[in-house]
Amino acid sequence: MSKPTYDRADASALLDDRGYSGALIRGQNPALLFEKGVRERITESYYWKEQCFGLNAATLCDRAVELKFIGGTSGITGRPTPFLCLAFKMLQLVPEKGIVLEMLNFRGDEDEDGEDAGEADGKIETNREGDDQKNGSANGDADAKKRDLNAEGKLGTFKYLRCLAAFYIRLAWEPVAIYNTLEPLLTDYRKIKRRLKENFSLTYVDQFIDDLLTKDRICATSLWKLPPRSQLEDLDLLEPRESPLGDEIDMLDEEDERERAAARQGSESESESQQKL
Amino acid sequence: MSKAGAYGSTGGGDTDFRKTWDREEMAVKAKEREAKEREEAKERYEAKAAGKTYRRRASTPEDLRQTEARSERIDWSKMVGKQTLTSAAAAVGKRGKGAGAYCAACDLTFKDNIQYIEHLNSKQHLVATGQSGEVKRATLEEVRERLRYLKRKADEAKRDEVVDVDARLALGREKMEAEAEERRRKRNEKRRAKKKGDDNAMQWTGVGANGVIA
Repeated sequence: MSKPTYDRADASALLDDRGYSGALIRGQNPALLFEKGVRERITESYYWKEQCFGLNAATLCDRAVELKFIGGTSGITGRPTPFLCLAFKMLQLVPEKGIVLEMLNFRGDEDEDGEDAGEADGKIETNREGDDQKNGSANGDADAKKRDLNAEGKLGTFKYLRCLAAFYIRLAWEPVAIYNTLEPLLTDYRKIKRRLKENFSLTYVDQFIDDLLTKDRICATSLWKLPPRSQLEDLDLLEPRESPLGDEIDMLDEEDERERAAARQGSESESESQQKL
Repeated sequence: MSKAGAYGSTGGGDTDFRKTWDREEMAVKAKEREAKEREEAKERYEAKAAGKTYRRRASTPEDLRQTEARSERIDWSKMVGKQTLTSAAAAVGKRGKGAGAYCAACDLTFKDNIQYIEHLNSKQHLVATGQSGEVKRATLEEVRERLRYLKRKADEAKRDEVVDVDARLALGREKMEAEAEERRRKRNEKRRAKKKGDDNAMQWTGVGANGVIA
């Protein structure tokens, strides 16, 4: 059957008790990825009714670039943040992979290198960067250091849109794809604002991504159980991750070891001297 | 065509009242109808194969358009301090023009913004305004274009932004003065209209489409 070229303007089809016949995520209704209470509060919220009505993947970007903070629910009544509402909208639309990747890795200043070239290398660049992290330490310093676009803040011009796409990826995609697409973002050190129950707190994109990969509950959503990285590595689905710190980690480890050894020796000699006394 | 009649007139003379058929047009029409029937029969067959009852799809109105996202936020503050003409009968129920948010397409009045927005999203309103309630799915290319446009807009906004504090203060002062001038002008207009003696005339001229007196 061909894919329909339209979506419902509201979430009525998604939340229909009598049955749902849209796109599935891991074999179930995407709305079920949010908790029931949160779902209800979202569809009751004014932001949802006014700003999320009739959105498609393109107009969703309009709203997402206006976001000022991420977060789940706030206040005693558990008012959902616009971030959460838009995430729910994305679960309704279930945009195709390319669109989500575009949201995640949109590169705003590519026009500077020339329109055509920029468009083409948007994707190549990200791939190369993935490789870069994999064999970064293998090449070592001999190779001229390749640019890490994430660390420079070049990819994902709109950081809250990027967080939204990352959140969606964590909820909707398969484990291997999640690790492969989200791990490069761990070098994006930009600041983001996060709404908590009562107040705001400052955090960073990489911190948020790390939370997505390791925690089981974030933004008022209990995330589905992601198999740990080590397990996927054992199944040869994933390459072992190379830290962007590269050799520095080994050096730090060695240093630690040396210090520990030195401390041990020192204590031994002390005890010996005490025995002598 | 036909031979001239005995009395010099073409055709039978007495058969002019008969309808003359355009054969080609009718052939096209017949072909269309047959195609439609064949299609329906096919759908009927498919529905039967799938174990469903076939229901003919209701015809789509010509001017039906797809629902689109709201391009701007609904501004409630613009209603503050406005006077509204209402009929005494409109005080009860939603029907007709009354005090509150008025929907011209459905002729309904709502007392608060939640009710109003729910109405704007409702099937009733969508049908009344000729919308399908369906949104076109965006392609990757559209999303990319959109993001480029948003980036350009953000860049332009950044360029126009004034960082210097003094310049900002001056800009703010100018804006405030312009607003004060506008208010003064309106007040004077009102006073002049009142002086003419017909104080109702002034009020009635500015009645907007939704019953709000400007």
